[in-house]
Amino acid sequence: MELSKMEPIVKRFYEGVAKGEYWGRKCPECGAIEFPPHLMCNSCGNRDTEWVQLTGHGKLLSLVLPGIQNNKPYLKDEGKYGYGAVQMDEGPIYTFVVYGLTKKNRPELNRRIKAGETIGVHPKNVQRDGWVELCFELDDDVKESLKK
Amino acid sequence: MTKGQDARSVSIVGVGCTPFTSFEEHPETQGIGEGEAFGYAAKEAMEDAGLQPRDIDYFFHGAANPFMIGAALTPNMQVQEWIGMRGKGSIHHSEACCTGYTSLELAVMAVASGRYDTVLTGAVDLASTLPVDDAPAHMRKDFPLEVMLPSIGYVYDRAYGRPLDSAFGISFDNWVNKYAQTYELTDDQIDQTLNALSIQLRKNAVADPLGFSTKTYEDLAHESGMETAEEYLTSAYNPKVTQYLRVSGFEIKCDGAAAAIVMPTEKAKALGLPAIEVLGTGAAAYEGALYNNEYQGTRDGAKAVYELTGVSPDEIDLFMCNDFFLGGDITASEECGFIPRGEAWKYILDGRVAPSGDKPINPNGGRCNFGHAHGASGLADIYEAVKQMRGQAGATQCAKVPETTFLRGFGGGQNVRCQILRTVK
Repeated sequence: MELSKMEPIVKRFYEGVAKGEYWGRKCPECGAIEFPPHLMCNSCGNRDTEWVQLTGHGKLLSLVLPGIQNNKPYLKDEGKYGYGAVQMDEGPIYTFVVYGLTKKNRPELNRRIKAGETIGVHPKNVQRDGWVELCFELDDDVKESLKK
Repeated sequence: MTKGQDARSVSIVGVGCTPFTSFEEHPETQGIGEGEAFGYAAKEAMEDAGLQPRDIDYFFHGAANPFMIGAALTPNMQVQEWIGMRGKGSIHHSEACCTGYTSLELAVMAVASGRYDTVLTGAVDLASTLPVDDAPAHMRKDFPLEVMLPSIGYVYDRAYGRPLDSAFGISFDNWVNKYAQTYELTDDQIDQTLNALSIQLRKNAVADPLGFSTKTYEDLAHESGMETAEEYLTSAYNPKVTQYLRVSGFEIKCDGAAAAIVMPTEKAKALGLPAIEVLGTGAAAYEGALYNNEYQGTRDGAKAVYELTGVSPDEIDLFMCNDFFLGGDITASEECGFIPRGEAWKYILDGRVAPSGDKPINPNGGRCNFGHAHGASGLADIYEAVKQMRGQAGATQCAKVPETTFLRGFGGGQNVRCQILRTVK
């Protein structure tokens, strides 16, 4: 493999996050997107993928809340959060830190997920030491509806 | 030959396991290092099979974290002198908490392929202490939680799963949460189930002379002035530390080593050795931040092992579950077909998973009660399965001597190995 063909993929992902750009890798054969991006396609086993930019918007598929065993102080400093599976609007699913999840709204969010309702989430960046962590937070309309 | 099937049948003919404990806290064992611990487990396995080191062709060495808790980069080389196998080939492997199950998979592959006839596979981790830099192996120092906890994240992907925090965040609860949502169980129902499981598994471990735990939850309740184990488990002594799990739902890290010897089944029969055949291994791996990773790995591993062995789930007599955080005992026992879907929580509350029950799970007590010597734990489960299947398990012998055992190995962010053992008649 020539050096010129060995692009750092993780670096481009995090540099994109810091700029509000969300880069994945799309399989030209089956169309599936790796997000976060990897070299080859895990959906169909094709060895080639190419860069694709995602909107950054997705929906929440499941959630759990942290206890003292799996809590992170630097995350808590940014607000109440949980961990959730997020499906990006373009299809890929991965798990992330999701802000706005609380003990109070957990039952209602679980009810809505089970009912098949869409719970929109969008990126919320958390500044770390020299890099930016991609987290998500509930969309404003979801937050508003949970207040009712 | 079907894909995944072995070229020749392979059986376990010898097993060994040290107590899972803190070697430093017992005068008899204070100063035991990795070489001796691995060596004692291997020696017992050789004695069990009636073999000598000269009879072994090759060995595998497993450890979950040899660099940190063994101060070794070449641990197979460093135990070799202890087991009379100078000059023979060996491999070290490390799959974190799944290590002990891959230990069996590797040994079986080495024999099934025809490359070797008699293979020892062992694993060791002295997980309750740390080595002292620039000092001999008998000198160990404290291994405090504040040193251990940051290292747990090292099992997760350094590109995304670890820095994005979700792998560590979701791993403990995501499958039991899925279970609770699917069957509409309340947090209290899950809590009662996990506590009933803890009570039973603790009893098993206390009755097992190799287990770490020496007091039942009833004992601990009485010592604390409480009436019942349930009262103790829901008290401030045992707080919830994740959404669902209490302190009692997490592993007890400790020291330990275990080993097994495998050979062709036909050779075992010719030698007149009691043989436990390894019918197959279903392997899967899903990175720790993937949605429902433990569920997906167990689903795929179980499907693979049933397909390649032709065994039906209703033939399984004993289920061993690597449960370094509780929950898998409920969810994996169903996914592997041992207990009907949606029923495991009721089976646990009804006491049916006890050794005396009709669906025994972890008669040794599992990781939260027998103890977790990380890399060695899988082989300790295999030791337990073999003893159970021979009817040699003592106080925790299952009411029906198992003929077929299913092991759900799991760990290391996250590997899964589903293995089926069967007594050779």
